[in-house]
Amino acid sequence: MRVSDITRLSWDQVRRRKVVTALCVAGISIGCAAIIVAMSIGESAQLYIEKQMNSYLKMDEITVTASNGASRGGDSSSIDSETLKQGKLTEQKLNIMRQIEHVQAAALYLQLNYMEVFTLDNLTSQFQTEIIGTDLDKLTDFGNEFLQGAPSDLTGAIVLNYGATLGLIDEETRKSLQEQINANPYDDALYQQYKNLNKMLTALYQKQVQLRYYSSTGEVISRPLRVIGVLKKPTGASEENLLYDKKGYVSLETARMLKKELRLGEDENETYNHIVVKVENQKYIEKIENQIKKLSVSTSTNLYQKERLANEFKIIKAAALGIGVFILIIASISIVVAMTMSTYQRRRQIGIMKVLGANLGQIRNMFIVEAALLGLLGGLLGVLFSYWIVWGMNGLIRSFSDEQDAVIIFIPITTIPIGMLFAIATGVLSGIYPAISASKTDALTAIRRD
Amino acid sequence: MLRVEQLSHSFKNGNESTVVLQEISFHVNKGEMIALLGSSGSGKSTLLNLMAGLMKPTEGNIYIAGHNIVSMNENQLAEFRRKHIGFIFQAYELIANLTVRENVELPLVFQSINPALRKHKALALLEQVGIPDKAELYPSQLSGGQQQRVSIARSLITEPSVIFADEPTGNLDTKTEEEIIMILKRLNQTMDTTFIIVTHEREVADHTQKIITLRDGYLVTDQGPAAEPILIGGIHSES
Repeated sequence: MRVSDITRLSWDQVRRRKVVTALCVAGISIGCAAIIVAMSIGESAQLYIEKQMNSYLKMDEITVTASNGASRGGDSSSIDSETLKQGKLTEQKLNIMRQIEHVQAAALYLQLNYMEVFTLDNLTSQFQTEIIGTDLDKLTDFGNEFLQGAPSDLTGAIVLNYGATLGLIDEETRKSLQEQINANPYDDALYQQYKNLNKMLTALYQKQVQLRYYSSTGEVISRPLRVIGVLKKPTGASEENLLYDKKGYVSLETARMLKKELRLGEDENETYNHIVVKVENQKYIEKIENQIKKLSVSTSTNLYQKERLANEFKIIKAAALGIGVFILIIASISIVVAMTMSTYQRRRQIGIMKVLGANLGQIRNMFIVEAALLGLLGGLLGVLFSYWIVWGMNGLIRSFSDEQDAVIIFIPITTIPIGMLFAIATGVLSGIYPAISASKTDALTAIRRD
Repeated sequence: MLRVEQLSHSFKNGNESTVVLQEISFHVNKGEMIALLGSSGSGKSTLLNLMAGLMKPTEGNIYIAGHNIVSMNENQLAEFRRKHIGFIFQAYELIANLTVRENVELPLVFQSINPALRKHKALALLEQVGIPDKAELYPSQLSGGQQQRVSIARSLITEPSVIFADEPTGNLDTKTEEEIIMILKRLNQTMDTTFIIVTHEREVADHTQKIITLRDGYLVTDQGPAAEPILIGGIHSES
């Protein structure tokens, strides 16, 4: 029997038996949609968290720190052995790192300390700003974008990140608001006002700010700097988290000067805290890290966080798939019942076909193809349902969240064939019993009218 | 062409056994049209079902085109029916959701025959049974007589060795009955196909070349094709 004939005869039954078709397709579509939605939620949540982690943990970056100078093996003969031996971070090593294939950027960092930043009208944040010395020209190579201004070599200049411009309030207002909150801890309006103030953006471009540092002896040391640039808000980062992420970038020359002026430690032999190497793609991290290690330096990455996350989500996704499969199993019962009923109703027709020469396999195949078609229809409807459900869920998330970057569920294209496959497989497996039952129908009993 | 040897059949009902057919033997030559005549309960339908391989006899053998169908399993019988046997039912037994042409083609579908060839053969047979214009209609749109013509066309499409017709005029009025019998006679002559017609009506049996009469499971007469008219219960038939 030709496949086209089996399909045509089966499709004819699917089209004709509307109630049976509706029952089966409804069951399968719910199961298929459950699988697709559950897997999509898992994927979307993983991607969202990865994005969030990437914006803070920079998983495509390698942090290189000085080591004791112990050689870690490898081919280092071509490199100046005098420099390598000491394990220090030097301009020469920085240049070597920049030459490594798939390295997008590399820059030296000199971390000073966390300091208070005041505006001239005495506005400041409740959180301190981390002051970092680096090559300001390289900031954009690390994924930063300037909201205002541009890098400059001017001494006494500072570039602030987006978080550093948030929540600058005068001391008195903050104090009074905090007192009010303490007096009325359940006043939501007050709390909201405080939250909004902390999120408020202050225009600092081309303004002078004052760095204030409290030395270990209790002495307060200040240093004025001019804001020559403000960085854009990183994509994917939430406003809430940016409140705590306050950074000020100065040139290495300014950093050295500040170190001296603010008495952050005397160091005749200039040392850098670390070099950050940005890699084109996370997949090259391990390879490049191994090459860097050959320069007798220590390295660290946050890639393990991604692996840990992937392992955790593997469990979540498996659980989600399990829920979907469970729903499909329940749905398959409806197919078995509906198709067995259908088999009984069609006994006469099956009998005629057998009398006309259809064998057991042909009758069985017609029923299995019919069940597969029901699965296919259920799967297609399930895909539509899943888009509709995800659309509804995204609407709900948006209505409950005031953040623009709230987690948005998307349907990865790979989940659609998985959902369809499960739907068709459910149809076929559920159709096996009715198909066998139909093929065993006794032709004579089926066509007998008395 | 068809040979029945010492065929007996009985049904078991608890401990009791009811004999339906008792040591039936006869043969039918190729291209003959015979009637299995008998009243209700005589065993004629059981004999038809046994010859069509839809039942297994308690004893005896049935040879069609040289094959003993009694020793075949279900799939072999399906294969055999597909190639050698055609059926015409009293209630036509057409498939409601298939068109007239598709109903006629159906036995060829089970043989994986090319759709174009199937269509060609089906249309030719519909022409022969006089309803070429009804090909794309559904059975419900036809009269009883027209549906029986479709059933006849369907039985012929595989060019079978033998066609079993179970009370083919049982649901029809006298005028249509006459038309159907004429069609069967014409096809028997033109296509050289063996027809075995089960009927309880003497008038229908009189149109055939040979009448096998059954009474209470016994073969009463086996009237040969070359025989003179023989009186059976006061009614005569012609060879």
